[in-house]
Amino acid sequence: MNPRASRRDLLLRAALLAAIAAVSPLLMPAKIAAEILICAIFACATNLLIGYGGLFTFGQGAFYGLGGYAAGFLMARFGLPWPVPLLAGLLMGAVSSAIIGAFCIRRTGIYFIMMTFAFNQMIYYLAYTFRNITGGEDGLAGIKRPPFGLPGMTSLNLDNPTYFYIFVAAIFVVSVLALIRIVESPFGRVLVATRENPRRVASLGFSVSLVQLVAFMISGAFTGLAGALYAMLYWIMPIDAVHWLNSGYIVFTVLIGGTSSMFGPIIGIFIWLQGFFSTLWARWPLLFGAFVVIVVLFLQGGVIELFRRLSALWGRRERAEAS
Amino acid sequence: MQAPIIRTEALIKQFGGNRAVNGVSLEVGGGTLHSIIGPNGAGKTTLFNLLTKDFPPTSGRILLYGEDITREPPHAVARRGVGRSYQITSVFQNMTLGQNVWVALYRRERQGFLNFWRHADRDASLREEATEILSRVRLDDRADRLASELSYGDQRLLEIAVTLATKPRVLLLDEPTAGLSHEETESVSRLIAGLKGRYSILMIEHKMDVVMRISDRLSVMHFGSIIAEGTPEEVARDPGVRKAYLGS
Repeated sequence: MNPRASRRDLLLRAALLAAIAAVSPLLMPAKIAAEILICAIFACATNLLIGYGGLFTFGQGAFYGLGGYAAGFLMARFGLPWPVPLLAGLLMGAVSSAIIGAFCIRRTGIYFIMMTFAFNQMIYYLAYTFRNITGGEDGLAGIKRPPFGLPGMTSLNLDNPTYFYIFVAAIFVVSVLALIRIVESPFGRVLVATRENPRRVASLGFSVSLVQLVAFMISGAFTGLAGALYAMLYWIMPIDAVHWLNSGYIVFTVLIGGTSSMFGPIIGIFIWLQGFFSTLWARWPLLFGAFVVIVVLFLQGGVIELFRRLSALWGRRERAEAS
Repeated sequence: MQAPIIRTEALIKQFGGNRAVNGVSLEVGGGTLHSIIGPNGAGKTTLFNLLTKDFPPTSGRILLYGEDITREPPHAVARRGVGRSYQITSVFQNMTLGQNVWVALYRRERQGFLNFWRHADRDASLREEATEILSRVRLDDRADRLASELSYGDQRLLEIAVTLATKPRVLLLDEPTAGLSHEETESVSRLIAGLKGRYSILMIEHKMDVVMRISDRLSVMHFGSIIAEGTPEEVARDPGVRKAYLGS
């Protein structure tokens, strides 16, 4: 691909992400839309491991929660400028996923999954125990959103729902674009190769465990960043965010949306969180379960696969008409 | 004979009660094509797995260019210039042919440093070289197809192309013609014969016509040990080999 084409591709996707962020608050309350974008960062970061690395982690909630607690603690106790809690969440996610990831990648398959799950529960009970930092089961309350400001600009109060939404939307666009660039970089391609055939990657001279560990850290960093935003969203960091159920939901949304592109998890999050189904039927999680079954049986590439098949169909028809 | 490229000293691999490799001392000379033959279960592939450090030997030493690599991890052995193709085809199925070769080229050209930010296809020289390497096995016209779309024979060719892309000094080929048709076997053995002299090659092969035609030296493995070694003519005359392997 020549440089111009790759730049055009990236701009196109930036525009698509911005459009998603711009349209969402027109379709639903801004608070729900903000939560969707935050969880979309979380889901895309998880997809780096699941879709690109083939690492089925059921422990991402740990990094989400730790990022949220780190940022939330700073915002509740100290009035620091806005980049500090965000960076704290990001770093917390990166460091904790480096430590936990280093253990988990020593095993594969079901043992890997159990390890991620076990570490997640360990972090959950730590959060439960150290209530003077995390608030225990009451959640970490008293979080204050810092004002947003850049040099040469009057600072904005993020308690204003519109400003906060734009703040979240900007971080969403930048984070997902960064993840897209990473999966298309040499690192991303070698990560996909480790998913396809780890032994072959080693025999070509790459350290598979190093590649996987770095993937864990990148995923953990963006997950921690999403956690930090989540702590700001409701001015409280609930302990549910660290629970393994949260890790499970994110895996399901990634699978439903589709793992083959970073847009898949975003679609999955919209299906899971937008609240449309809940207005149709109070027991809508049943629908979600049916959705999982349908996807697994008939649409293994996820909802994004549906778009792909439709566009292939469209292309075939156009070609048929042209000839 | 030139100085040995690979040398093993009393290499042993024990799996529970089974000694798959039993005291193998082997020398592969520079620029030679050295074949290993032997019945199924003789320990040939296990020996390869020891050489590439897929698992550690129970005892013994492995020397590459006189340096001890017995304790090195697999990717470090690969970086020393040992390229391998597998008995069971080992390509990246859901990647294109060009990307398959690219992974090997990138490691060689960038010493494994992984960039996070540039697009992987930005480097035109790597793409051109990938096409050039694919053309050596006549797969360049399908560079943008997925490896999973190739026939089995073409996947074997792709695997050899990927191995060559690392510019190895030593090639370990594990049954390169396994499962191939007569014509495909011909084209693969021509390809290997064409590599002779430029690489030091250690090859496991079952097809005796191929082995006898293109090998410089031959080792015969039986129950984990090497029972005979020499030029193809010498080995063919060896009465012990005839009894153990050729069964006559």
